[in-house]
Amino acid sequence: MTTNNPQPQDEFYVNYLPMPRSWSAFLLKFLPLLIAGVLIFAYILPTVHDQYNKGGFSKRTDYLGYLVANPVPHLIVPRPGNTEAGADYSYYLLAAGNKAGPPKKVMEQAGNWVTLTGLPIARNNLTLLAAFKAETAEAPEGFDLDLKGKSLGEFTVEGEIVDPKCYNGVMKPGRTKTHRGCAIRCISGGIPPTLVSHNAQGDTIYFVLSDLEDQAVNDRVLNIVGDPLRITGEVVQFGDTFVLKADPETYEVI
Amino acid sequence: MSVSYKSIQWNRQKIIYDLLLVATIALYLYLFVWSTQWFGGADVERGLRAIWIRAYGSAAFILLHVILSIGPLTRLSPKFYPLLFNRRHMGVVMFLLGVQHARGTLAWYHDFGNLDPIVSLLTGNLNFGFIPFPFELLGIGGLLILGLMAITSHDFWLHNLTAPVWKALHMCVYLAYSLLVGHVFLGALQTNKHPFLTIAVGIGLVWIVGVHFWAARKEAGCDRQTFLINTEGFADIGSISEIPENRAKVVTLAGERIAVFKYDGKISAISNVCQHQNGPLGEGKILDGCITCPWHGYQYRPEDGASPPPFTEKVPTFAVRLQGDRIFLSATPNLPGTPVEPAVIA
Ligand code: HEM
Ligand code: HEM
Ligand code: FES
Repeated sequence: MTTNNPQPQDEFYVNYLPMPRSWSAFLLKFLPLLIAGVLIFAYILPTVHDQYNKGGFSKRTDYLGYLVANPVPHLIVPRPGNTEAGADYSYYLLAAGNKAGPPKKVMEQAGNWVTLTGLPIARNNLTLLAAFKAETAEAPEGFDLDLKGKSLGEFTVEGEIVDPKCYNGVMKPGRTKTHRGCAIRCISGGIPPTLVSHNAQGDTIYFVLSDLEDQAVNDRVLNIVGDPLRITGEVVQFGDTFVLKADPETYEVI
Repeated sequence: MSVSYKSIQWNRQKIIYDLLLVATIALYLYLFVWSTQWFGGADVERGLRAIWIRAYGSAAFILLHVILSIGPLTRLSPKFYPLLFNRRHMGVVMFLLGVQHARGTLAWYHDFGNLDPIVSLLTGNLNFGFIPFPFELLGIGGLLILGLMAITSHDFWLHNLTAPVWKALHMCVYLAYSLLVGHVFLGALQTNKHPFLTIAVGIGLVWIVGVHFWAARKEAGCDRQTFLINTEGFADIGSISEIPENRAKVVTLAGERIAVFKYDGKISAISNVCQHQNGPLGEGKILDGCITCPWHGYQYRPEDGASPPPFTEKVPTFAVRLQGDRIFLSATPNLPGTPVEPAVIA
C-alpha cells in the first residue's frame, strides 16, 4: 500500500528488517565504545581491590611442640639453634582443615608434648597450623617450658577481630565487611579470634584474645567480627606472641 | 504480531546481538582474572575463588547499568532501538551472572563450617546496624527479583500474567537495582576503600537516575499539553501538516496516550500501547499498511487496531474527524479491535 514513501530518509527499524544505514553507522561507533568501556572496568577493578598480601600457606609439616588448650588451642614449638637474640619458641595457633577448631583427637592430647602434622598458614609474624593429627612425643631436652608468659601491663588497643586462618592468606583480604560472614563461621567453629591492630608507625601487631579466666571468647564476639574495636586489658607475651586479656563485655565498638 | 515476524524467531540481528553480549562478558571475566594475577603476582589468593566471586558480581552489576540505560536512551534517540529488542536476553544473562556470583559466595564463604551454607548465609550476620548490616541479604533480594523476571521472561508468561502484572514485575527491576546498590555500598565499598570504586558506583547511580529524568522530561512535554474536549467528546489536537506521512503524533487525552497516524491520505487513531510489551506504537511506522511497533515489530491495522490474521492482538481505537486541516480526536476509546472509519484528507 505504501508504495511511494515521500520521506526516503524516514528511517525505521525493527529487528526482522534490514537496519537503516545511518543506524548501523551509529552502532558501529557506539558499540565498540560501550564494549571498551565495560572491558576497562575488568582491567582496573582488580587493581583497586584490597586483595593482595604476602600471607599464604606452604606445605604439611610435622612439628614437635607442647599442646595447650587455653585460652585458645595452640602449640608451643621450641626454636632450634641459637635463640639468644629473640624468643626461644613459637606460639602457633591451631585450627582444623575446615572452618573449625582443631580436631578432638588432637586436642585430647593437650598438656602433652606431641608431634603434630599441620599445614602452616602465615602472615607477618602470625602463624596458624591447620592441624590434621598429633601423636604423643618425647619432651625435647634442655627446653624451659614457659606457660605463664610475661605480663607487659595494661594497654588499650584498637583494631579488628579476624579469623587468623582466612586472614593469614587462605582468603584475601580475609578481613573487614565482605569477609564478615565467613569469619563468623570460622570463629563460631573454634578458630582463635585475633585482633589485628596497627601502631603509630603503621606496623601490624596481633593480639590473641582471651577473657579474664583464660578462656576463649569465640562465642561472645561473633556480633562484632570485622568491626573497629577498642579493647583495654592486660597484655601477656608468649615468645613473640601477645595475648590480650579482657572481658569481652568491655570491648567497645568505635 | 507481524506478518513478516512469524517465521523469524531467531534472525541474524538477534544472533549478532547475543554473540556480542556473550563475547563481551566472557572477555570481561577473563580480563578481570588476568588483571588480578598480573597486578597481584604471587600475592593473589590461591585458587582464585574470591576473584571469581568479584568478577561475576561486578560483571552483573555493570550489565544491570547497561540494561537500565537502554529504555530511556531510546526515548532520547531512536537509534538505540537496536539495543532494546533483545534486552530480555541481557536480563537473563545478568541473572545467570548473579547466580554464579551467589553460588561462589555460598561455597567459599559459607561452606566448610558448622552450619548448612544457606543457613549460614541467612543467619550468620545478624547485626542490623547501618554499616555492619548483612549486605548479603540485599543481594539475595535483588537476585530473587531478577530471578522472577528471568523465569517469567518468555512471552508465554506475558500472556498468562496479563500485561499490568507483568509490567509491575518489571518495574521491580528498579527495586532490585536499589537493593543491589545497597549491597555494593554496604559490602564491597566497606572493604575496598579505594576512592575509584566509590566514585564509579556513585557515577553509575547518578547516570541511571539522570538519564531516566532526562527521558521523562522529554516525554512529559507530550503529556503536559492539554486539549479542550468539546461537548461531543472530541478535542482539537493539531493540524494534519504536523504529522509526517506514515508516522504518528502522540497525544494524551483523559490520561490515555493515543497515537494518531497519517497514511495514504487518511488519519486513524489507536492506543499508543502495544499489546506485546507496552511498546510505544506512536513511535512506530506504517509498513505494508500496518502500524509497526518499534520495539519488536508487532503490527496492527490502523483501521481497527487488530493484528492481521493469523494474529489476534487488538488495541483500542479512537474516532477521528477533520475540519479543514484541524484534527479532532475522540477522547473515548472503542473496545480493542473495533473498526473505525479513517478520516479522509480532502
Ligand atoms: C544471593 C545473592 C548474593 C550474595 C549472597 C552476594 C554476596 C556477595 C559477597 C559476599 C560479596 C563480597 C565478595 C568479596 O569481595 O569477597 C559480594 C560483592 C558484590 N556483589 Fe554480591 N551477592 C549476591 C547477589 C548479587 C547480585 C545479584 C549482584 C549484581 C547484580 C551482586 C553484585 C555484587 C558486586 C558488584 C559486588 C562487588 C564485587 C567486587 O568487589 O568487585 N551481588 N556479593
Ligand atoms: C532479568 C530479566 C530482565 C530485566 C533485568 C529487565 C529490565 C527491564 C527494565 C530495566 C525495564 C524498565 C525500564 C525500561 O523501559 O527500560 C523493563 C521494562 C520492560 N521489560 Fe524487561 N527486563 C527483563 C526481562 C524482560 C523480558 C524477558 C521481557 C519480555 C518478555 C521484558 C520486557 C520488558 C518490557 C516490555 C518493559 C517495558 C514496560 C513498560 O515500560 O511498560 N523484560 N525491563
Ligand atoms: S512489539 Fe514488543 S512491545 Fe510492541
